[in-house]
Amino acid sequence: MSGRPTTLSDAIGATWNRYWFTPADPRPLAIVRIFAGCLALALWLSYAADLEAWFGPAGIVSQELLRGWRSPWAVSLFDLAGSPGLLRALWIGGAVVLAMLTVGLATPVSSVLAAILFSSLLHRGPMLAGPADDIVAVILWCLAIGRAGDALSIDRLLAARAGHAAPPPTVRTRIALGLLQVHASVIAAAAAVAQLKGDVWWNGMAAWWLAMRSDSRVIDVSGLFARSEYLTNLITHAIPLWELLFAAGVWFVPLRRLLIPAALVAWPLIGLLAGEPYWGLAMAVLSTASFRLTGGVR
Amino acid sequence: MPKNPSSTEPSVAAPASETVRAAVTVMLGLYFVGLALSIMANSASGSSALVRTIHGRLFSPWMTPPWLDLGYDTKLTYGLPDDADHRIEVRRQGTPSTVRPLVLPAAGMRAERARRWRRLARAAVIAEQDPDREALLPAAIGAGLFDDVGGEDLSLRILREVRPERAEVATVGAGQPRFEQAYAARVRRVDGELQLIKNEPKEELAPVVREPMP
Repeated sequence: MSGRPTTLSDAIGATWNRYWFTPADPRPLAIVRIFAGCLALALWLSYAADLEAWFGPAGIVSQELLRGWRSPWAVSLFDLAGSPGLLRALWIGGAVVLAMLTVGLATPVSSVLAAILFSSLLHRGPMLAGPADDIVAVILWCLAIGRAGDALSIDRLLAARAGHAAPPPTVRTRIALGLLQVHASVIAAAAAVAQLKGDVWWNGMAAWWLAMRSDSRVIDVSGLFARSEYLTNLITHAIPLWELLFAAGVWFVPLRRLLIPAALVAWPLIGLLAGEPYWGLAMAVLSTASFRLTGGVR
Repeated sequence: MPKNPSSTEPSVAAPASETVRAAVTVMLGLYFVGLALSIMANSASGSSALVRTIHGRLFSPWMTPPWLDLGYDTKLTYGLPDDADHRIEVRRQGTPSTVRPLVLPAAGMRAERARRWRRLARAAVIAEQDPDREALLPAAIGAGLFDDVGGEDLSLRILREVRPERAEVATVGAGQPRFEQAYAARVRRVDGELQLIKNEPKEELAPVVREPMP
């Protein structure tokens, strides 16, 4: 292919090819791997104390309950763990795999296993899964597609010691980063659309109802909101506005340079206010993938 | 020392062939259609029969196993009672109300662990509006907690927080968190069979109608 595209279809094709098939530096994906691995590990560990109470032979989420609850297409490796010992062993195995992914050890295998085990655990107890789990599952599958261990990993360290040169940018990594960016945009837009269906996001009171969940809140700003209705309104309107701005802005290169650093602060803050801090962190991690991506409207 | 000097030379990425690009493009296109349909089909607002059918037959079978068949509709709150914090409260049937019940999430549970218990409690209440799932989860919760209360006959309550309006707090202060009963049932196992007897709110019970005396 040479020269400038002459027709609209040529231009679309060229943009598509540039976006998805330009080999990408592995470092951005490696950064996502490290943070997503930590987050996945934290979510995984949150099952530790109640593993048997939920999924054990006499646990709450029995196979009988699952038959009436989850999709017929759902499958889980944890369905095979019929004894407490096997259940615990599988769970520990999953924790080890996630730790290996985080440090980048045997990454081509650990990234695939991490995605399979993580979605298996969520399918074992779908009513226990939250929005952070959903985002981390997407990130783990994207990591399994790309070459997430090509940089900032033990794999790379061992390869360098053996005298192997740094791997070149790859198309697989590019596809993984592209998918992360698409998901960041789509998920932010879906959240904004869902919110804007509710009256409280229009009358400015959503932030108040979020702040008044006394058990799940992480920070208590109810006093602040009680003193100022305008502040409550401002925070309420700022959340969907931010989500829409983010969803569209990641596709515009000049805006992206401002949005991505802002995303590292904004998403965790929204998560804190909503009582879903891991969701906020997961969205921030998802956003980092777009930081050094080329492509988009300049 | 490098074993093979040639291996340290900077390598160059091989461009993807036309065939690979075409195959990847088809796969990405299929996935994006699936992603769009998943979001449309999993919306809390419901979905059309057309979307449900296409999504359910063509996309759910391969998007569900990897936990990708999702709506991502993180509404955070609609200010409704269902959005409030929920908790589970169980006590052995017949225990005096002065005895402290087992509450989940317990006071010592923190962070995501406590959030998962709250989701479980909330899911049990919301499922009561779904004829296919009604009573499934309360019965399972009760059965799963028999050992914790030391008997196979227990009283299960799911409580949800009553959140005051902003104007009320601005004038009289927040006060202590208050909880109301969102669901209550007796769960027991009799001769190996699990039974759930739901406590209907009094206002929902039909009045007793007596035939007039002749």
